Amino acid sequence: MDSLFVLRERFQELYSKNSRIIDKAVQFAVALAAFYLINKNVGFMKLASSPAVILALAVICTFFPTVMTIIAASVLILVHMYAVSLAALGVTAGIFLVMYIFYFRLTPRMALIVLLTPIAFALKIPCVIPIAYALVMPMAAIAAVGCGGIVYYMMEYIKKAAAGMKGSDAAGLMGQVSAYIKTVFQNKEMWVMIAACIICYLVVYTVRRQSVNHAWKIAVVAGAIVNIVVVTAGDMYFGLNSQFTSLIVGGAAGIVVGLIMELFLFAVDYSRTERFEYEDDEYHYYVKAIPKLSVSSPEKTVKRINGHRETEIIDAAEVRRKSKKQGKKPENRSPVREGAPGRGRDMEEVDKMLLTQSLKQDLNLK
Amino acid sequence: MLDERKVRLMTSLAMYEQGQGKEDFKISEYYRKDYTGMHILFSFFWTTVGYACIGALVVLAGLDYFMSHMSVKLFMTLGIAAAAGYLAVVIIYAVITSHIYNKKHRNARQRVKRYNHDLTKLLKMYEKENK
Repeated sequence: MDSLFVLRERFQELYSKNSRIIDKAVQFAVALAAFYLINKNVGFMKLASSPAVILALAVICTFFPTVMTIIAASVLILVHMYAVSLAALGVTAGIFLVMYIFYFRLTPRMALIVLLTPIAFALKIPCVIPIAYALVMPMAAIAAVGCGGIVYYMMEYIKKAAAGMKGSDAAGLMGQVSAYIKTVFQNKEMWVMIAACIICYLVVYTVRRQSVNHAWKIAVVAGAIVNIVVVTAGDMYFGLNSQFTSLIVGGAAGIVVGLIMELFLFAVDYSRTERFEYEDDEYHYYVKAIPKLSVSSPEKTVKRINGHRETEIIDAAEVRRKSKKQGKKPENRSPVREGAPGRGRDMEEVDKMLLTQSLKQDLNLK
Repeated sequence: MLDERKVRLMTSLAMYEQGQGKEDFKISEYYRKDYTGMHILFSFFWTTVGYACIGALVVLAGLDYFMSHMSVKLFMTLGIAAAAGYLAVVIIYAVITSHIYNKKHRNARQRVKRYNHDLTKLLKMYEKENK
């Protein structure tokens, strides 16, 4: 367990030294993953779906705030929708607008969740998002998880139905709009998954705020189990034919991510919990104080034993003086000079003495 | 000779000015009631647009149904439901907006006060140095 905390300290040190680069690298990776998944699922416009375009877009987004990635992803989706049909473009733009007006306008920082949720859905690990966000975000983020789910199923529908959305006359467009909205919003699988994510979020959020020991661990495991149970119940009720393997893998991934987050964000030592009880004029207080765990990473000291002064820890001159006093200096040997290489046997002698001296010091021998 | 305290103070001031300060200065130009009121008005406008979008999507999705079951009674029922829904949404969003922007203004004012306090401290340091 200690090695995990040491690893955490090392990661934190590494991050504090290179936070700017790491942040940008993560932003680039998220942007690239989002654009790749968009193109893989709904890449109907050839020009916009080429790898060069998504790479260039991801690089550009890296140098701007995160909100730029979200705008670029939305625009990319709309461009592909335009390639499918005007109906697809209109409905998708309308749904995005509604999401913006009723939610993201008020809490723009939650928009990243809408980008990450479809990625998690595509990777078959949707459970990760509610667990991860419920551990660190307020209750308001719950709506963003739902919006992300809707975006994913919209893309799923377009991916399947794009071939049939070709008519450009008014009646054809109306039919497409009607079919798009009905199919997406009457998709039982989507509502089951969104309900499972929301319930999972509520469970994790509620449990992790309790003052019980190991609240985060309990919350993460409970959230994953609830997610699996709700999806299974929905599957049995509606007959959805969900893949249980991926459901369990998703739950396990959620638990792993939650435990990693606990390691980095909520490492406390429950064995040293202290409880206080006191009162003032208005309240009676019951306080539970849990000390944070902090393990300083051990510093590696590399001791080099050789004749070069720049890497030497032991005072070489003193050793030489001692060696002279002992009169062990062999005949016909040139005096040893600091930093003078190529003195063959003299250097070997000095090396041996240095080694002996160093070992004596290390082993505390007199 | 570099004064470490002064450098530290100036750095924190500059960081704030170039970061969150930009928005905070704009916010603190308004009184809280004016700021919240302005955003409630924006919210009213956006909520109306959003509600119209939802209405349009619902009508388009159920167009076949509405066409085949069209009657004055259905039309009236839908109209009343839509108006009630609109009122409810506008009121709920006005309350949410008021809460969010009140909090935002309060926090921004606090940060600007802290910034002013630090700025005064820095000025005093300069005055002391010049004496």
